[in-house]
Amino acid sequence: MKKKIAALGALFVSLGLVSAAYAQTGSVKILSPADGAKLDAFEQNHVRYEVVPGPNADHVHLYVDGKETAILRGLKGSHALETLAPGKHELCVKVVNKAHVPIGVEQCITAQVE
Amino acid sequence: MGENLGYALVQIAHNFGAVAVLGGAIFARWPTPATRQSGRRIARLVLAGWIIQIASGIGFGAASYFYYGRLPDIHGLAVAALFVKIGCAITGVVLTAVYLKREPDWADTQRGNSWIALALLAALALTAAAFLRWFS
Repeated sequence: MKKKIAALGALFVSLGLVSAAYAQTGSVKILSPADGAKLDAFEQNHVRYEVVPGPNADHVHLYVDGKETAILRGLKGSHALETLAPGKHELCVKVVNKAHVPIGVEQCITAQVE
Repeated sequence: MGENLGYALVQIAHNFGAVAVLGGAIFARWPTPATRQSGRRIARLVLAGWIIQIASGIGFGAASYFYYGRLPDIHGLAVAALFVKIGCAITGVVLTAVYLKREPDWADTQRGNSWIALALLAALALTAAAFLRWFS
């Protein structure tokens, strides 16, 4: 009985380690705009991104100043931003799971709109 | 693994709750109207279904909080859909409880109308669920 419990425990630990190893493989790159870039308020600005989802990932959210503004279904692509008011803005691309919870795979940049 | 299993278990409860609330309400009316006795049994099933819907709905939030320390990140139409679902579930619980308490004094028409209302509530909740899933 003790052996079975020990084996079960080892299995869960192994699964946890495998999950942890996989979890480190996810990544998000915001290809453009670059961090600190200046954007023209009168131009149609885009966010170009590339995502390696990792485990437990389902889709990607785009946030502008902490507010979700788009659902990105593709792992790589470009998304047109809504008109941004002049000033400093934070843009974040976050990988979320099926329950729409950010799983910690994300990148944020700031852009200055003039 | 553990996370997926946790969400899957909550989803199982949520799915069976959905079947109970919609299937029960429809079956009470069609293909033939339920008798008073069987109507009460179905009402208990539907009441249990709505309670399971509420509990498992909370379960999704609890699982997210357990695994990531935060609630699902939803905005806009998805939030509206969530509120529609919550409203349907609360109304469903109240209406079914009222049915079980007051049904002995009701005419067949009133009983029939209650089942139609419960079926529409369930259908609305299921429709809102689709918007919640895909608009966030």
